[in-house]
Amino acid sequence: MSVQITASEGGMPHNKVMAIGLIGSIVCMYLTYLNTITGTEIFSFFGGIAAVFALWWGTDTIKHLCSYGLGTGVPSAGMIALGSGVIAMILATKLSTMGLISSVMIIPIGCVIIAAIIGAILGYIANNIVNMNIPVMIVSLAELCIVGAITILGLSAMAAGSFVFADLVTGSVTFFGVAIADYQASVIGGGVIAVIFMLGAIAVQHAFNACLGPNESQDRTLMLAAECGFLSMIVVSIMSFAFISAGSAILAFIVSVLGWVYTYNQYLVMSKRDAYMWLDAKPILEKKEA
Amino acid sequence: MSALGGGHAGGDGMNPVAAVVGLVLLILALGIIYVLSPGMAFMALIGVIIGGVMIGFGVHFVPVGGAPAAMGQSPGIATGVTMLAAGAGLAGLFGGAWAAELGFGVALAGGAIGGGLMMAITCLMVNVVYVYAMGIPAASGKVAKDPITGDTFEAYKSKGTEGHGLPFISYVGGVIGGMLGGLGGTLIYLELLAVYEAFLPAALNAQAEQIVPLAVGLAGIFAVGLFLINAVLAAYNITGTIEGPHDPKFKRFPRAVVGCAVASAVCGLFAIILVVI
Repeated sequence: MSVQITASEGGMPHNKVMAIGLIGSIVCMYLTYLNTITGTEIFSFFGGIAAVFALWWGTDTIKHLCSYGLGTGVPSAGMIALGSGVIAMILATKLSTMGLISSVMIIPIGCVIIAAIIGAILGYIANNIVNMNIPVMIVSLAELCIVGAITILGLSAMAAGSFVFADLVTGSVTFFGVAIADYQASVIGGGVIAVIFMLGAIAVQHAFNACLGPNESQDRTLMLAAECGFLSMIVVSIMSFAFISAGSAILAFIVSVLGWVYTYNQYLVMSKRDAYMWLDAKPILEKKEA
Repeated sequence: MSALGGGHAGGDGMNPVAAVVGLVLLILALGIIYVLSPGMAFMALIGVIIGGVMIGFGVHFVPVGGAPAAMGQSPGIATGVTMLAAGAGLAGLFGGAWAAELGFGVALAGGAIGGGLMMAITCLMVNVVYVYAMGIPAASGKVAKDPITGDTFEAYKSKGTEGHGLPFISYVGGVIGGMLGGLGGTLIYLELLAVYEAFLPAALNAQAEQIVPLAVGLAGIFAVGLFLINAVLAAYNITGTIEGPHDPKFKRFPRAVVGCAVASAVCGLFAIILVVI
């Protein structure tokens, strides 16, 4: 008794979307490292851009997976993506202190590898033990786990200005003019990561859930995904005022608002293009007193 | 069932090869933790696995109607498995986490009661909406008589539907499912919290009191992540709608139990490795 989910054929091939999403998000993750090189925090917003790339790719993966008819609705795919992604992401941020490679440059690529392992195991469980028997299940869950991990890593890096475990768990509070380390004033210790988790989970599943149907078209769905990503970025940029300098946070806020306005306008244009008819609703006119 | 012609999903059987591979993964995860840190971390991983199995088993009790239920064409609560399980389980998890400092037993009871209460209120309000707003009586489509009250359904069931409303047995199933979900989620949280409170001070060169908010944050986000993974795997096992413990689909639960145990073991391993290395 599952509802038939129709997805459009054609458009950009999924592998191309995956390649753009994966490379784009990893490059943007490394661009946030410019913070450490230059000693500033103004490159934090690249973390959000990495999350937008990942969400854009993840939406296409969800579309690919859900067109097989999961029977449980699209949001479940978003929830398992972020649920497994957060485990991979937090473990990856600590990779540089675990002994093998001490450079923090390992973190973004390590995050992708750990997420791929967790996602592939979960995909095997879902496909073979739970007997879903969907040909793309293992690949799709591995992709979704990477998407979830990069989304949380990117948004956390955007909020904290760094993707290293020590920076994510340690904040500082000024107490009688002296700055002391405080674990509660940090992204993970303060629970900000829970908000980031839900912002990512909703953003990754919303676009296809909203656009699916007989008239679904790929570019419109993916534009909505980017719009959801920028909307999450706006919220994270506001939260980042607590962790990074005000100038960097304002820059991140401006970038996310500009991105959101552009993608939202594009989405409206595409909706008008795909719609059979478009009526601009007008407010009900008050009857004028004679 | 599938739009692009995938394999045949569902069925009641279990794939023996896959089950063996899963058990090997589970033992491997336990072995790695035992080598790295026998004792507390090993016991915590076992606790995480038990919690994950409870969540996966509990989800099967929850009456999920999905979109057809919203139109009064099938029994259950009109939303997806994941949303319901997350609602009930996270309510329980928060209830248990709030009571964490009052002791292990009190926290577990708090989690179970939180999850059960959430489902009890949800089921009650769902029935209020069904009966007084949509005007439909409760009638199961899968069984002729309610196993608890003995009410017959046949005369109340509309033609062309699979039943509608929320029968008493589904209500009871929902409360049991919420309690199991809340209990499992709280157990995962408490085990991870104990591990982080024990290992984080040494890892970060900090005092135990300073580390508490960080341990709570880490254990909380991992518990939420593990909860959603187990709930979604159980939802994939159900594939769509289930009426409660009397539904024939309920007999599929052994697959979800194996799947959730393996998933919890692997993800729990990664969550515990974070601090023990």
